[in-house]
Amino acid sequence: MTRMPMNRRQALKRMGTVGAGSLLAGAGVPLFAGSRTDRVVVVGGGFGGATAAKYLKRLAPGLNVTLVEPAKRYYTCPFTNLYLGGMREFESLGHDYRELSDRYDVRVLHAFAQDVDVEGRRLQLENGSTLRWDRLILSPGIDFRWGDLEGYDKRAPEQAPHAWKAGPQTKLLRKQLVAMEDGGTFILVAPDNPFRCPPGPYERVSMIANYFKKNKPRSKILLLDAKDTFSKQGLFEEGWRTHYGDMIEWVGRSADGRVVRVDPELLEVETEFGTVHKASVLNVVPPQKAGAIAHRAGVADDSGWVPIDPHTFRARRAEGVYVLGDATQAAPMPKSGFVANTQAKVAARAVIADLAGEPAPEPSWANTCYSVIAPEWGITVANVYEVHEGTLREVPGSGGVSPLDADAAFRSREAAYAEAWYAAITQDIWGTRPA
Amino acid sequence: MRRILLIGGAVIAVASLFGTLGAGGSAPEDATGDAEAERFAERIRGIAMSCAACHGTEARAETAIPRLAGQPEAVVRAQLLAFKADQMPGATVMPRLARGYTNEELAGLARYFSQLDPQFEPEADTR
Amino acid sequence: MHRTIARIRSVIPALVATALIVASPASAEAQGNAPWDRVDPAQELLDGATPRAESIQIDLPSVTQDGSSVPLSIEVDHPMRSDDYIEALYVFATRNPSPEVVEYHFTPLAGKARISTRVRLNESQTVFALARTSRGAWLAGTREIRVTVSGCIAQGNAEKGPDFMQTRVRAASRARPGEPLDVRTLINHPMETGLREDSNGNAIPERIVHSFRAEINGETVLTARFHRAVSANPYLLFYIAPGQSGPLHLTWEEDTGETATATAEIPAA
Repeated sequence: MTRMPMNRRQALKRMGTVGAGSLLAGAGVPLFAGSRTDRVVVVGGGFGGATAAKYLKRLAPGLNVTLVEPAKRYYTCPFTNLYLGGMREFESLGHDYRELSDRYDVRVLHAFAQDVDVEGRRLQLENGSTLRWDRLILSPGIDFRWGDLEGYDKRAPEQAPHAWKAGPQTKLLRKQLVAMEDGGTFILVAPDNPFRCPPGPYERVSMIANYFKKNKPRSKILLLDAKDTFSKQGLFEEGWRTHYGDMIEWVGRSADGRVVRVDPELLEVETEFGTVHKASVLNVVPPQKAGAIAHRAGVADDSGWVPIDPHTFRARRAEGVYVLGDATQAAPMPKSGFVANTQAKVAARAVIADLAGEPAPEPSWANTCYSVIAPEWGITVANVYEVHEGTLREVPGSGGVSPLDADAAFRSREAAYAEAWYAAITQDIWGTRPA
Repeated sequence: MRRILLIGGAVIAVASLFGTLGAGGSAPEDATGDAEAERFAERIRGIAMSCAACHGTEARAETAIPRLAGQPEAVVRAQLLAFKADQMPGATVMPRLARGYTNEELAGLARYFSQLDPQFEPEADTR
Repeated sequence: MHRTIARIRSVIPALVATALIVASPASAEAQGNAPWDRVDPAQELLDGATPRAESIQIDLPSVTQDGSSVPLSIEVDHPMRSDDYIEALYVFATRNPSPEVVEYHFTPLAGKARISTRVRLNESQTVFALARTSRGAWLAGTREIRVTVSGCIAQGNAEKGPDFMQTRVRAASRARPGEPLDVRTLINHPMETGLREDSNGNAIPERIVHSFRAEINGETVLTARFHRAVSANPYLLFYIAPGQSGPLHLTWEEDTGETATATAEIPAA
């Protein structure tokens, strides 16, 4: 467990890390590559994992970094709602791993990670091969708690899509919306906290209303919610009134909005107090937990999520394993792509310091969640986070949501910045060039 | 484009408000030892990585959100402090984010970004 | 609403350090250091008795981002026979403005001493429950929870709306033979704590639903006393013993004396 103590300069040089002294001159650009290689394996090529792989190599080019991600082209959950609303092409949400492999020399393995041997420091892939690691970073996203919602089993999404992982499910939902008759009812079933992308369900109904308004104006949207409040609620409700009149009806938990049973064949849902609603198109966002590999690695606790050391995002339950993104218990940080990106940078620096036998640098995280309610109408929540007395918190005085009484020009600026944010963060992660 | 100009216009007004900050700044490396300066530089580098989520890697992305790499230190510092003081007309998320950092950190970020090459080719980053 | 958040925020720093692991109940008891030893209303209830820290299972999330509505389930693993049953269950939150959360009084007609509800927890703290058996024995259970304030998760404060005092009830439609039947209830009510200000800065007076009664065929199944730590729109899930059928009458009473009722038909097994 303990490493041979090593001179800091030697250790960092070994990994090819740029020294702090060259920071101002070289602005963080590494100057040389190391010789001996520590192996870091990253599982998951999304917002957390791909960022971690890139920043490990930016900060320590001598590291041997392997990224394990099944998809050759990764489609982001953020902005799938704009696709559903007819504001974006699906392909514009796809990103590849060429920058990581070609420019950053990350070994990208398109494979499925199956199991982790924490003790033996090995990752087993579904294709039978095994990867050894000195440090492991898991960024597995979410899995669904099949069976928690009666009737919504693994087959149900074929009729009633979740579309909460970007890909065929997103396209299926879009196809159903396009096929729906004018005057139909779209029902979205939203889960209780915590879940991936807290404003996501509300942005989704906004974007679908945008599509209906232009194409199927007699249609209705019913959002059945397991909660009594939701992210950016006042701003969403204001935007819905402004753009969609009474097309969107939100039913909170205390108004009998909590769905307890789904019939995917009949497209019916039943609420806690026995109301049955019939949908033309039914979108169920199921209860969630950390992605499977986190459970295989034994780093998740009985909440289904992964407790982490907030300074470094090292898993509390395993040596040498770091966990990022939606899979973690990082409250008050939301499960957002932006947060996963900043967590990955904190973890990349912590891993490098850890391998060098150094204390981790002081962490810093931020979040900005953009939601688009209509074309030219965006809203945000933003925060900066810190560790205070051993737990994460919002930096006092920082953060907050867009003002409620802002004018159309303000909303329009935030909508434009939403597009700019997407271009910038996908550049930062996958190297996608801003259009 | 219009937006950048709008913010640029505001900066001129604000930069004069904060004119006194133009020269000295408050980067602690003058007053304290190397270790402290190194620690501060590391901290700034960490914060700047968060900025990349909207401004691109090393704040070089060219979108409606301004590129920060290579911008004049005094201007960016004045902007950041004005955001924090809520004196930036038309600002959206930046005041909420700027309030999460000390004035020294904001000044350090301005300095850091000013020293980045805006034309830097990512191909050269690691080789 | 923002005022409430600010107030909650201001008290958090002192408490974040609250240890997540309390001493094991047995040793805590021995040292007179259990949470119920430090809460006056609990001491009054116990009146010198020492509870056995066993048989009570408290389910709470370990972390919540919305302290205004935290799901809470408690089950006392104890018979509900006419000669030995759980007659009372009291819930306390050690660091709320007032520690009393809710109390339940069962009869054997409840079939099992298990409830689910939603509560307000001001900050990270210990939640504990005390149960008294019909033979006068006391049981206890504890659970830690961390409450964070998140700008991303709206904190709920229900207003008095058009559905004020509207009630809902649903009994399970299929009774499993020999198993108690679950009954879910809800009343729409803001449960004003008296600790909140309106948008003009004026204190909103306390106004809560303070009691609940469930009767079947004229006999009491359960009564409850709600304190202001019960979340807006009080939700309660409880049970009815097998073999009971007929109309179940529910009555809620507000502290103004106003009442609301609901009825559900309990099917024969």
